[in-house]
Amino acid sequence: MRRYLRLHRIFIAQYLKRLMEYKVDFLLGAIGLLITQAFQILFIGIIFSQIPTLIGYTFSQILFIYGFSLIAKSLDHLFTDNLWMVGYRIVRKGEFDKYLTRPINTLYHVIAENFCVDAFGEMLTCILLLSYSIPQLDMPFHWYTIPLALVVVVFATLIYASLKIMTSAIAFWTKASGHITHMLYMANDFAKYPVSIYNKAVQVIITYVIPFAFTAYFPASYFMTGENPLFCIGGTVVAGTVMFAIALFVWNRGLKAYESAGS
Amino acid sequence: MENMIYAENLRKEFKKIIKEPGLKGSVKALFKPKKEIITAVDDISFTVPKGEILGFIGPNGAGKSTVIKMLTGILMPTSGMCRINGQIPQKDRKNYVREIGVVFGQRTQLWWDLALRETYAVLKEIYQVPDEQYRKRMAFLNEVLELDDFITSPVRTLSLGQRMRADIAASLLHSPKVLFLDEPTIGLDVVVKENIRNAIRKINEEEGTTVILTTHDLADIEFLCERIVMIDKGKKVFDGSLSGLKHNFGDVRTLEFELVNAPDFKLLDYQRRFRLTEDEISAERDGVMAKVRFDTAKVSVEDVVSYTLQTVHVKDLNIKDVEIEEIIKRLYRREVSL
Amino acid sequence: MSRIKRFFRTYKPFTRAGMQEMVAYRANFICHLIGEILSAFIMYFVWKAVFLSSDSETFMGFTMEDMVVFLFITFLTGYMTYSDGSFAVGEEIIEGSIAMRMIRPCSFEMSFLFHELGDRIVSVAMIFVPMVAGVEIYRYAVSGEVRFQIGCFLLYIVSLFLAYMISFYFNVCYGFMAFFFKNLWGTTLIKETLVSFLSGAIIPLAFLPSGLAAVLNILPFASLSYTPVMIYMGMYSTSQILWSFGLQIFWLIVMFGLTKLIWRSAVKHLAIQGG
Repeated sequence: MRRYLRLHRIFIAQYLKRLMEYKVDFLLGAIGLLITQAFQILFIGIIFSQIPTLIGYTFSQILFIYGFSLIAKSLDHLFTDNLWMVGYRIVRKGEFDKYLTRPINTLYHVIAENFCVDAFGEMLTCILLLSYSIPQLDMPFHWYTIPLALVVVVFATLIYASLKIMTSAIAFWTKASGHITHMLYMANDFAKYPVSIYNKAVQVIITYVIPFAFTAYFPASYFMTGENPLFCIGGTVVAGTVMFAIALFVWNRGLKAYESAGS
Repeated sequence: MENMIYAENLRKEFKKIIKEPGLKGSVKALFKPKKEIITAVDDISFTVPKGEILGFIGPNGAGKSTVIKMLTGILMPTSGMCRINGQIPQKDRKNYVREIGVVFGQRTQLWWDLALRETYAVLKEIYQVPDEQYRKRMAFLNEVLELDDFITSPVRTLSLGQRMRADIAASLLHSPKVLFLDEPTIGLDVVVKENIRNAIRKINEEEGTTVILTTHDLADIEFLCERIVMIDKGKKVFDGSLSGLKHNFGDVRTLEFELVNAPDFKLLDYQRRFRLTEDEISAERDGVMAKVRFDTAKVSVEDVVSYTLQTVHVKDLNIKDVEIEEIIKRLYRREVSL
Repeated sequence: MSRIKRFFRTYKPFTRAGMQEMVAYRANFICHLIGEILSAFIMYFVWKAVFLSSDSETFMGFTMEDMVVFLFITFLTGYMTYSDGSFAVGEEIIEGSIAMRMIRPCSFEMSFLFHELGDRIVSVAMIFVPMVAGVEIYRYAVSGEVRFQIGCFLLYIVSLFLAYMISFYFNVCYGFMAFFFKNLWGTTLIKETLVSFLSGAIIPLAFLPSGLAAVLNILPFASLSYTPVMIYMGMYSTSQILWSFGLQIFWLIVMFGLTKLIWRSAVKHLAIQGG
């Protein structure tokens, strides 16, 4: 563990050096993500200019849930972005061979090799939304609120990362799976709104199948109301753990099936 | 001597989906994909003693890379087993790869956007090389592979030869006991090839590193390898010394003569002159060039040259080396069984 | 006549290749499409909630039924008018192969255009028809009457085609940005977000303050999405339709001219700098 932390520092340092070479590109990426989010929020603002509440949720509450959904999303984006490349390019082009000849965990190696500071665009939106909405909401606050929030953030991020790990591992069998990752990953947008706006089928899917609801709505509603901690927080921990276990299993099975490329 | 590498009945099969060409083929593949099992490596066994350089040769698609990938733990054999340095590569991969170095000539393992030395700094951590040892190691690799000129340049700016040297150094940083080199001289010019060969030899001599290398260039083999294993269509067709290979399949050379007067070509009749079959000597014309292919076991280079010079006016001449493809072609023509 | 024939004979193979690629990568493409269309479904649920929370039958002049048609036809329009030109041009500039284009006997953007058309022909069968049918079945199920108007649909097709052509030339122009940036990822994200906002694909222009909406209606972006969608929905009167067609054609000519201009200066640039 100590060794991996040390390695991570080295990888981050190397990444920052690379970043300096392409600063403009990264800055533009972050701005791009920021304005993507800004338009979505403008849209929510227009809706609320016409109606007082959205099925019982106030503007601030909606913004809080929205902002909360960006915590895990942006952290995952920052740390595990290289997983996309596994499904789109690394396996197909045989570049995965390199990782298999190194004496460290392949999954760790792939993830640690790259970071995506573009995610700061989403993080900034997230911070703005939370700091605007939290003072307007009369949220219960206890000594354990912050530690609990940290736990939620870790497991919620794990849900995102695990989904990417398992779908990118499909490439070990099929050579390319980036599109499968994309298809399922896009469902994360469902997490931005209260689940009660969706019909039953969608609710079941985003709670039990692709549990994105646990990355945002459920924990966020606990923090807003203090109700249902077992389901809202416990659910996030369980969902994160189960997803991660499945992801590791699929990844390890995939490694055995990996067929490299070329002759 | 003890064996460093031990491979027994290695076999690797791949499933392949066959697609017929054209739009019709694509539509057909949509509904009824045709699958076929391809045996890339078919029951290959061999051993390599410690400290030996083994040349692994064969035509394109023969299965060389697949064997290397099984030996390095990248691929799982369909059946059979291999043991290197007392370990089974697929069993405890992380532990196993600490003791080996791998270079794929077609693909770099260096960090593209960073200065070369940064790659080494990361690899040092990955392989947990202690500081003191790292310093010594870099000094040694520097001496052998002359990295100093470009160690601060970003990898993307290196020439192919520099990149290959850098890649070999990267694979040696942790002082592996076995070094796998897949086409280490591919695409390089003669001088750079020479450098790389010297470096490989030096490392082998000074550290007793066992080396397996695949190559298309017979000069690599002649300079480096005591022993070669030749495979074709996934099967081992030869295992022994280079002179043994030449003895078995004939040492075929090609001489090229540039004729002053191209129609003179018809004056040359090598088969009749040396009383040999077409298999043993043959000539063909390509513009002003006369290309003569012959077996040095049957007729000497000297005799062929002097006969040619006596018969026609020659502007220039050029001796080509034995090509592995040529040996394999002969192997099939003669249907030699080994 | 024979010139036109020769023209189509030259570029037919590109169209064929485009169709083949689309069929070959159909699984990837369908996964991608599902991922993209999810956002339209999310918006559908959001609007449902909005109408549930509102006392009025309409939201700024749109009924729920209008909103659904708007969402899915906007998605479809966005899909059909999407052009990869910027990516292709950018790639060629970065790899330096753009110089090769100058010695080929066929026009750069034409070969690309016909390639993309091949892709679109397959898309018509795979997406366009099913989606239009789905939208119309929804409208019928909700209202109990057939709302499909063949006239509007045909005018929509014309407007969609013009929108694609504008999008194509716009993206080719944009692709030349690769001369200035190494990596177009960030700028592409900014461009796509801005374009989809300005074209009324994120928020209907009618929801924006009227001054802003008027300006955006004239800019080329509305011609990419909002105009064809409004025509499909039957929201435009005959005079508005004629005016929009005029505007679309105007912007197409501008974009086409701009492409030629940039291409000419790029050729000059290449001739001097050498790739």
